[in-house]
Amino acid sequence: MTLQKRVPFRLIRLKNFFLILVKNRLAFAGLILLLLFVFAAAAAPLLTSNYPTEKAGGKLAPPFWVSYIYGNARYSQNAQFGSLTTYTNTSSLGVSVQSTSLGPNDVNVTVRSVAGGTVIVGKTLDYSYSAPPSEMFGTLVVTPSSLSLGSSQPQVAVFFDRIGVREWGPLWNDTLKPGLTSQTTIRSTDPGLAARLGYQSGTDLGQIVFSAKGAYRYFVMINLPPGQFQASFLIKQFSMSLYGNTYGLMGTDFTGADIFSQFVYGTQLSLMVGLIATIIGIGVGLIIGLLAGFLGKMVDEVLMRFTDMMLVIPSLPLLIVLASVLGSSLWNIILILGFLGWMGFARLVRSQVLSLRERPFIEAAKASGAGTSYILARHIFPNIVGLTYVNLALSVPAAIVGEAALSFLGLGDQTAITWGKMLESARESFTGLAWWWIIPPGLGIAMLSLSFILIGYSLDELFNPRLRRRR
Amino acid sequence: MGLRGYLLKRAFNTFILILFVITLNFAIFQLIPGTQGVIANLLQNPRLTDKSIIGRYENQFGLCASYDPATQHCVLATASQRFGKYFVNMLTFNFGVSYQSGHPILDDMIGTGRLYNTLLLLGVSTLFSLLIGIFIGVFVASRRGTAFDTGWVTTSLVTYSLPTFWMGLIFILVFAQDLHWFPPGGVTPFPTGAPLPPFLQQIPTRIAHLFLPALVLTLYFYGGHLLLTRATMLESLSEDYITTARAKGLSNTKVLFKHALKNASLPIVTNAALSFGGLLGGAIITETVFNWDGLGHWIFSAISYKDFPVMQAMFYIIALCVIVANFISDIFLGVIDPRIKYE
Repeated sequence: MTLQKRVPFRLIRLKNFFLILVKNRLAFAGLILLLLFVFAAAAAPLLTSNYPTEKAGGKLAPPFWVSYIYGNARYSQNAQFGSLTTYTNTSSLGVSVQSTSLGPNDVNVTVRSVAGGTVIVGKTLDYSYSAPPSEMFGTLVVTPSSLSLGSSQPQVAVFFDRIGVREWGPLWNDTLKPGLTSQTTIRSTDPGLAARLGYQSGTDLGQIVFSAKGAYRYFVMINLPPGQFQASFLIKQFSMSLYGNTYGLMGTDFTGADIFSQFVYGTQLSLMVGLIATIIGIGVGLIIGLLAGFLGKMVDEVLMRFTDMMLVIPSLPLLIVLASVLGSSLWNIILILGFLGWMGFARLVRSQVLSLRERPFIEAAKASGAGTSYILARHIFPNIVGLTYVNLALSVPAAIVGEAALSFLGLGDQTAITWGKMLESARESFTGLAWWWIIPPGLGIAMLSLSFILIGYSLDELFNPRLRRRR
Repeated sequence: MGLRGYLLKRAFNTFILILFVITLNFAIFQLIPGTQGVIANLLQNPRLTDKSIIGRYENQFGLCASYDPATQHCVLATASQRFGKYFVNMLTFNFGVSYQSGHPILDDMIGTGRLYNTLLLLGVSTLFSLLIGIFIGVFVASRRGTAFDTGWVTTSLVTYSLPTFWMGLIFILVFAQDLHWFPPGGVTPFPTGAPLPPFLQQIPTRIAHLFLPALVLTLYFYGGHLLLTRATMLESLSEDYITTARAKGLSNTKVLFKHALKNASLPIVTNAALSFGGLLGGAIITETVFNWDGLGHWIFSAISYKDFPVMQAMFYIIALCVIVANFISDIFLGVIDPRIKYE
């Protein structure tokens, strides 16, 4: 056949192959599952905007949909104050204010004072959850410039305001000096914060302020001393994030990182580890099996005795020992898994080759002068391709579970957030086990393995005539 | 070749395997970053030959070939002598001293009850997984193609692909943390050193502690046995002697267990022995999840402490167990299967 004819022929064969695979219900289910995971891995950056280690919500927050199960009285979600508004002097007539917005959190305020007064810059939020946030985090940077003042200095302070009910503050205050930047970070977990406002030290301020639904304001107040002057203040990074006690599709871990994002990026890593390690293992097994089976004699004896020895040595302890001795970067682990996963396949290939070697068509090829490598590549290999597919599918789960087990034991790559690593952190976090943190990675491992196993078994039934049903 | 020849050949193979494992172990632990440096550093120390100094590193590196009887100073060993010494140490179970506890490794292994705990856990779960796997496998094979068959095959595939550590965590979460039916981990609640309550009173608490880890291992392993039993049973059920047995009017149970299972049992026995290695691997993880103070949990803590002598010893012992299990299954097969002696 010429190449032009061969390609369409192969395509038709591939199509038929898929049709047979799709007809088998279990294989079809496996294929769909696998496609879902491949999609999740490929589209990870589109599916989630958070990085796996980035703080996204409150610490150990369950998924948002628990509020549909248990009622929403106890749950809140993330909330953000809106963009900045400058309020013209509310309390004094001695100031006129001009402001230029530089972004949602940044503003430049220019003040012309006649007799001193107050400038207020704030943001509003319509807080719609009946439960308080689990923590709050805010920042502020104020830089006064072109400040022509005498001895008295302007004061800056930050407040919360449940509009029309009451005010809390100052959360922070400072004296502004020309050219010097004043900045602060406000954390609700800071024990001194509540104490400064007269509450018991250690109380979370968010629990007090956001104890009810309503309209809230968060503002900076600059108190200008009396006198005639001009000044401008650059207010930057004026933000306040409220982290709810539920977050996203799968909740958060004990640092507040998004578990859905860890899960999706973990899919990438697991698929990578499983496929690459298996391809290495299948490659090594194929070479050793072909050589042992076809060359026979001493080569066969030596290779097979070595294979037997490797086969008897328990794999997980060897993995553990090698990973802790050779180091545990992800690539190291892939290589170790690959080079420990070839033995069974090598034996299978050898036994196939042994029976193929005696067939007439091999003798014919030999008689017409074909060399060893030609016979191996063109006559023997095509006859064991089916086996290769089956084993490819069936060995991937072992590699995936192997990597997860190593990570779970703390021997994995400490920088890669794989599914095993997620389970390890969930167990080591000493906060009791959180179901939303444990179920996704384990289910991921199980379902991904299952999809490969389902496909593998159906391929096996397809290629292995002994397993075909009698009709 | 008779039975004796077969056994001799197997024993020889087993011996070669043990040598291979020891060599592999030596090679791996010579590769540890630092080992070569420590040895080179020690060898440069002029006072090294003093018995008080070298004694500390004696077991670990085997630096001393012999002691000079007059000065009590040692004659340093060459690399090949070190290997020889290591070899003898391994064969005589002289593993040296644990970095963590400072005690001889064999004492830490047996004297602390770790070996007993592991054997208990593995024994119970092997027994149950074999019983469940074989019984259900036989019934499933006799009803091939029914919903009962597909259901069990799917279930065992699912439990087989569930990672043990995850199953363990889920069980702790549900049965220990939420329902409080079982303790979340540990072997016994009894404080060490205090007098133990009478044996009969210990049994319920011990079973409560054993239940979850044993359940995890059983669930993980019954699937493999079930699928294998089903496959070999399907093969032997299609043989002519089964048709004959049925034609004779034997009851279904008799046909299944006396005729089909007996002939299908050889691969099951081999597989039970071969799966021993996997069982030990599963034990490392399950014991870690449940804080079950056995050999597996010990390996885990050795990893975190970088306690290389313990890891080395444990790897060797596990490999040895697997090799011996294989040897025993070989003997067993040789005795019960007349065809094997004349391979």
